[in-house]
Amino acid sequence: MANLQGAGTRQNTFDAIVVGSGISGGWAAKELCEKGLKTLVLERGRDVKHGDYPTAMKESWEFAGRNKVNQAALARQQKQNRTGYTTHPASAHWFVDDVDNPYSEDKRFDWMRGYHVGGRSLLWGRQSYRFNELDFEANLKEGVAVDWPIRYADLAPWYDYAERFAGISGQKEGLAQLPDGQFLPPMEMNCLELHVKRRMQEKLGRVMTIGRVANLTVPHNGRGSCQYRNRCIRGCPYGAYFSSNAATLPAAAATGNLTLRPFSIVNQLLYDPAKGRATGVRVIDTETHEVIEFHARVIFLCASAVASTFILLNSSSTRFPNGFGNDSGELGHNLMDHHFKVGASGISDDFNDRYYRGARANGIYIPRFRNLDAKTKQKDYLRGFGYQGSASRTDWARPVKELSHFGAKFKADLVAPGPWRFGFGAWGECLPYHENRMYLNHNLRDRWGQPTVTFDCEWKENELNMRKDMKAAAVEILEAAGLKEITPFDDVSAPGLCIHEMGTARMGRDPKTSVLNAWNQVHASPNVFVTDGACMTSNSCVNPSLTYMALTARACDHAVGEMKKLNL
Amino acid sequence: MPTAPVPADSTLLSRREALARAALMLGAALSPSIVAGVLRAQAPAAAPAGRRHLDASQFQTVSAAVERILPRTETPGALDVGVPAFVDLMYGEFLTADERFLFATGVKDIEAMARERHARAFTALDAAGQDDVLGRDKPFFALLRELAVTGYFTSEPVGRNVLHYDPVPGRWDACIPLADVGNRNWTR
Repeated sequence: MANLQGAGTRQNTFDAIVVGSGISGGWAAKELCEKGLKTLVLERGRDVKHGDYPTAMKESWEFAGRNKVNQAALARQQKQNRTGYTTHPASAHWFVDDVDNPYSEDKRFDWMRGYHVGGRSLLWGRQSYRFNELDFEANLKEGVAVDWPIRYADLAPWYDYAERFAGISGQKEGLAQLPDGQFLPPMEMNCLELHVKRRMQEKLGRVMTIGRVANLTVPHNGRGSCQYRNRCIRGCPYGAYFSSNAATLPAAAATGNLTLRPFSIVNQLLYDPAKGRATGVRVIDTETHEVIEFHARVIFLCASAVASTFILLNSSSTRFPNGFGNDSGELGHNLMDHHFKVGASGISDDFNDRYYRGARANGIYIPRFRNLDAKTKQKDYLRGFGYQGSASRTDWARPVKELSHFGAKFKADLVAPGPWRFGFGAWGECLPYHENRMYLNHNLRDRWGQPTVTFDCEWKENELNMRKDMKAAAVEILEAAGLKEITPFDDVSAPGLCIHEMGTARMGRDPKTSVLNAWNQVHASPNVFVTDGACMTSNSCVNPSLTYMALTARACDHAVGEMKKLNL
Repeated sequence: MPTAPVPADSTLLSRREALARAALMLGAALSPSIVAGVLRAQAPAAAPAGRRHLDASQFQTVSAAVERILPRTETPGALDVGVPAFVDLMYGEFLTADERFLFATGVKDIEAMARERHARAFTALDAAGQDDVLGRDKPFFALLRELAVTGYFTSEPVGRNVLHYDPVPGRWDACIPLADVGNRNWTR
């Protein structure tokens, strides 16, 4: 027996374990494997090899129902359908079945999940911006939550490193609030976007830049360039946008150090109180329901903010009665997302003889212009927002109000492009509030007997005040641009819908008020790293994935350094 | 930059060519398994053959109505591209219970109004008579017109031959003369 157990333990022992294979997990796998560590990547969903994207080349007429969601499919993805786009047959297979993967809501929270190798790196919006110096200082200056234990300068070289590998196209602008990076050539703006950009710059002094996006404008690191199909969410056979499947996991596999195990739910961390360290993880095989233990010197939790926090909360022991590393009581708290779906659109009478070729998988970006200095200080709210949007010609799906309009002329009109329309919306920062939280629900169990997650999270005064300005400033910009039929909107949605969950195991300087240290290590068990959205101490207003990449690469470098020094 | 036009008459050929183009740009061939996987994924989804959910009378009324909304001209009409079958599928499997009720009631309404105003079945009216009746049940007509437009413009014949079809543009030209694409929308 002892021998068998020994053999099993050896077989199940690695230098490093990475939980999750999305943006953060893929980066951890690549970095740790390239640094020579035998690395086990555990993914709860099925395997997806690069290229295994069944709908990538389908046309609308090749979907039953032309890519609309039928009632039978909807019944299984009620919550995933809250985005309005994810559950179309072109992408529904990348999102979880809500019946099999339930969660609860004290207050509505839209939790969008992709359980498969690559995770949401296959589905992300690909907008890639650096946090700025203010973002890392704001909590301290304003007395909000706790101070970040790092500053922009700590992360800048790792942004460089992540961008060089991932391939981010964009335009340098020299703005302190949106630091430039290592960019591939930018995509171009179309004629109405350029018009709005110039007018806004002249009249309001605000900057518009092309979206900084993880789509390749030139071949890069063995991956093909963007074909301008704008069907990224289906998976890209050209590898033209950054995903774990196309980029980091192949790099990890090429080292010979990678073991990837799909269908593996990490249920909890194993803890050795004598060593004061985690020793491994307990896994449930989703297909056989077998429980297996794997061991390693370092463990990277990269399962997404909510899932990594779930694992920590579910790993209670005598030492950690309230969840692994939860001496501060902050684990599961400070849940953030970006608030969005507020902005405006307008119509232009110009450029009627102009059009574009291709479907650019990117839009424009208007960097934050509020609360940057004394001059831009707002009295009703802290922090700020950026705008994302685009101009395009409306097509046959444009609404036609007059019901008398049908017949031969109606048809001909819809064949031709409609007027140019510019539409944009704001993405706003959300403050970290202790009372915005997720917690374990032991009354509702999943198919594998695990507790589930309950959310209790809402926007508060700062976000709601900011939204008023987000809408008003959008109208102001379109008026400056001289557009017509300006239509503001504020479709306030519940937290979660932006799919930028963050903050539930925050970094900080003090173990009494934070879960992780400056290197993303659990204060109380430094061989456990959390480098996904859970680690975020505040959330800026920019899309976060690039920051997870940089933080993960930095943490991996630190982990391997500490292992070499025998500190881990 | 790849600029070769994609032939519009063969899905398979255009995709092979598209993949080959991408391979050229990479400077290496895509692995055969990827090519095979992408091509295999092309087996068309079972196209709705015709009436499955509406009854025969409803289907006839709907067929006549959608052809008035999108009649055959120098380009195909709704009947030419299978719009009635699409509407039938939407009715049976995609609309909510409320929308189904609205739809079924609306079909009845235009049949009733055809008899009331013109003393004939809707399908027996001439174009002017049908146009007179259509649109009188406003919520129904808005739904029917939206379904007809969607079914028409997402159909293969329209996507390939009426709109401007280029499934793998391979490039982004931000500002071109509209005349370059014959004053037509891109196929989505």
